[in-house]
Amino acid sequence: MTSKQTVSDAMTAHIETAGMDRREFFITTAAVGGTLVVGCGWPRRGDAVGVTTPAAPWYRESTIPEINAWIVIAPDDTVTIRISQTELGQGVWTACAMMISEELQCDWNKVRGEYASANRDAREEAPAWTLKNPAGPEPSPTDPRGGGGEGDLPATNERISWTGVYRRMTTNRSASVKGNLYFYQLAGAEARERLLLAAAERWDVPTSELTAKDSIITHATTGRTVRYGEVATRAAELEHPHPETITIKSAHEFTLMGTERKNLDVPLKVTGQAVYAIDVKVPGTLHACAKACPVWGGDVKSYDFDAIKEMPGVHSVVQFPKPDPGLVRGRHFSGGVAVVADSWWRAKTALDALPLEWEYPPYTHLNTENMQQALVESIDEPGRLVYQQGNLEDAMAQATSVVEASYDVPYLARARMEPGNATVLVTDDRVDIWIGDQSPQETRFSASQITGIPQEQVHIHSAHLGGGFGRYGNGPQAEHAVMVAKALKGQPVKMQWTREEDWSVGTTYRAMGVARLRAGLDADGYPIAMDIRAAADQTASSPHRSLVPPGYFFPNLRVTNHFADFHVPCGTRRATGSPSNVFFVESFIEELADAAGKDSYEYRRELISRNDFLFKDDWLQALDLVAEMSEWGTPLPEGWARGIAIDDRRYDREKPDVCTIAAMVCTVSVSKAGAIRLERVDVAFDEGFGFVNPLSVRKQIEGQVAWGWNDVMHQGFTVKDGRMEQNNFHDFPVSRMSEYPREVNIRFFKTNHWLEGVGEEAMSQIPPAIVNAVFRATGKRVRSLPLRKHDLSWA
Amino acid sequence: MPFPLTINGLQYVVDVEPETPLLWAIRDTLDLTGTKYGCGIGQCGACTVHVNGQAVRSCSIPVSAAVGTTITTIEGLSVDGTHPVQLAWKEFDAPQCGYCQSGMIMSAVALLQRTSAPTDDEIDSGVTNACRCGTYYRVRQAIHRAAALMSTPPAGSGGRNDDV
Repeated sequence: MTSKQTVSDAMTAHIETAGMDRREFFITTAAVGGTLVVGCGWPRRGDAVGVTTPAAPWYRESTIPEINAWIVIAPDDTVTIRISQTELGQGVWTACAMMISEELQCDWNKVRGEYASANRDAREEAPAWTLKNPAGPEPSPTDPRGGGGEGDLPATNERISWTGVYRRMTTNRSASVKGNLYFYQLAGAEARERLLLAAAERWDVPTSELTAKDSIITHATTGRTVRYGEVATRAAELEHPHPETITIKSAHEFTLMGTERKNLDVPLKVTGQAVYAIDVKVPGTLHACAKACPVWGGDVKSYDFDAIKEMPGVHSVVQFPKPDPGLVRGRHFSGGVAVVADSWWRAKTALDALPLEWEYPPYTHLNTENMQQALVESIDEPGRLVYQQGNLEDAMAQATSVVEASYDVPYLARARMEPGNATVLVTDDRVDIWIGDQSPQETRFSASQITGIPQEQVHIHSAHLGGGFGRYGNGPQAEHAVMVAKALKGQPVKMQWTREEDWSVGTTYRAMGVARLRAGLDADGYPIAMDIRAAADQTASSPHRSLVPPGYFFPNLRVTNHFADFHVPCGTRRATGSPSNVFFVESFIEELADAAGKDSYEYRRELISRNDFLFKDDWLQALDLVAEMSEWGTPLPEGWARGIAIDDRRYDREKPDVCTIAAMVCTVSVSKAGAIRLERVDVAFDEGFGFVNPLSVRKQIEGQVAWGWNDVMHQGFTVKDGRMEQNNFHDFPVSRMSEYPREVNIRFFKTNHWLEGVGEEAMSQIPPAIVNAVFRATGKRVRSLPLRKHDLSWA
Repeated sequence: MPFPLTINGLQYVVDVEPETPLLWAIRDTLDLTGTKYGCGIGQCGACTVHVNGQAVRSCSIPVSAAVGTTITTIEGLSVDGTHPVQLAWKEFDAPQCGYCQSGMIMSAVALLQRTSAPTDDEIDSGVTNACRCGTYYRVRQAIHRAAALMSTPPAGSGGRNDDV
């Protein structure tokens, strides 16, 4: 990373205006673009500023003192909880509030949420006593304290620090519970203790004689009670004498967590009142529509502003450079232009009309076929060793038979529903950004680097996200918006991509992948040697994930990753490497079972039973439960079949780690003409020590059924002339109601460990389970996704 | 040029180019932001509103074609979230990210207006909105529930939403 000043200079945008000064511009827009409202009374929401609940928390005049940075309690007992994670449909708005309320002992019906301030996080360090995970710096997944996740959250680098007051504001890695639980609990516990201190002072009794429940403090011996709202102001003044002695509940003591709670923001989402970043309108905002070179790493060669400057509402064109890869996790995006106008539609219309030539990078010869060939060739190279046990080649030589199969998967976009956007105001000494963002701390850093304004002066106003599925799936939306707004200093600018720009230029992708698996079987058909080679784009996220033990017994195993260096920006799409790798492994296991002439459930069961690992019984429990749920082995109509798959989203760590074990059976029907329907899905899902909100978990699993179906059935991005060929819903289909299975059965099973998460742990199994079922129904083994490429007719 | 529009029972005049999609007049000019932009090509349904009672993708009709019609957006469905479809949606906690849900709800309301007790097949063909979170399982149940709520007369008038 270069110095702030250098980055700031390099990231300066070039601007051409329509020859109006600011004042003239506003006069002009008022004449041609204004709105005449006849009939009043309908509430206008034009001044909303990124608020997802009916309040404006981050700058509100504080008339009610906070208990601590996370909790404000009003005289009427309303509890406001600051949410440090970003709600993108996974339920953190509610789950984070539950984790704090669990310790606060407040009345859940009086809890509301507001986003924590990433600006305050830059200016204020977390109290030292909150930094320690009670389960230690490297928590065991089976220690019931603390969440099992990130230990003491040491991760601090140039872009991000997790010692700020709101700690880990990144929403990723399934980690909103496992990574944050202990400090949420500590925040709730500390506030509760200070409320007790305030009550103890009022009654002149020791806190040990007091109990707190549902926002009421009771002194049992005298029968006196006081509400939280009555002592909150005093509690806010009192310091806890020994905060380091505060303890938190372990997993078995939770009472609120583990109960089904409707999501706090759902009422706003059924009335259109929930505010996403795309709904924000700061008074005086100009609108920008941006377009970058469709071949990543490219730039603008020339454009002709004169050709569009007389178009209605046009204000200016801003040319912006390639975002510094250091700001976007090393990914290379393109430079581009933004047309700025008094409405977004006018900006888009003018951008479409703008004569524009690109300076293409030397990647225009690349297409899916020659890129896939490069991956296939990399398979024959030694690769990067991920895991090894035994002696693979010796064992392979002793095998009775050898089975080999190759698989491939395409690039995939996340395809969130809300196109990338952000509203930004840059002034001489401050940046304000209204955005839905899975990592506001990194956006804060980006904005600071681009503008040269210190992070302490960058204010992120968080909004809900219309889908997320991985931060840099959102691409450089914030960087584009800040660069454009910097060029129009003093002027709020709302930058918004088109759908086409969002999917085919602005996003990052699940990497295209190729795998070759080879197994040496013994006389009974069980593998004694297993060679797993998985190739992907160099920038693939977690290309090893779900490939390594535990799981099945492979006494001699070698796992290698292979890479080809492409220009396509890959990133952390939902479940990262698992969907590709589980498709490879769970398809291949099925092929081995067939080669051995054994039932695929029984074959998996045997391979797990032969293994020796910490969660073996839990794996068997999952497999047995889903077999029972799905009536495995019972007859089905002609053209119908079941397929099975299991995974725990394991990472390549040597020590036991958190995991979420889920086994699934998909029942499909395939018509003789080859039309597939997903008829039924049965899911056995790991409950671990317990969920925060089981209702949200069910919703996440239900949603992942649709996600997995789309992955396996419909979706694939292909490259031609160095760019993506697909860019909207017509060529990157998202399934609708009619394709969702009529029957989805979900059962939880109890285990004694912390979970990896729930938002991406029930999707990787679906593609192989469906492909396995399709094979049973049709006799056709599909090794290249998606299914819609294949003729699945049968006679 | 000015176009008179009737939206949620109120009269507006929007001064935009005639080919401007109705969606952008609703969202950007009139700030009724419950109606969402998803694809701009009439595919995803996030922008669904009612025009003369029919569910319409508002990104795909020009504002000039909406003059003289009666338009309803999610904001006009009820003043307090108590339309039976909204009540059913809350009962099943249907939304996840929620971005597509305004359009999904408007499609469901239009379906229930023409088919009071839809079958699963009628729901499949009548509600074709895309939801990337995959809320279809709960949306289907909520539509059946809303149909039941709409078939029984309300217990009182102007019910309050105690679910907030």
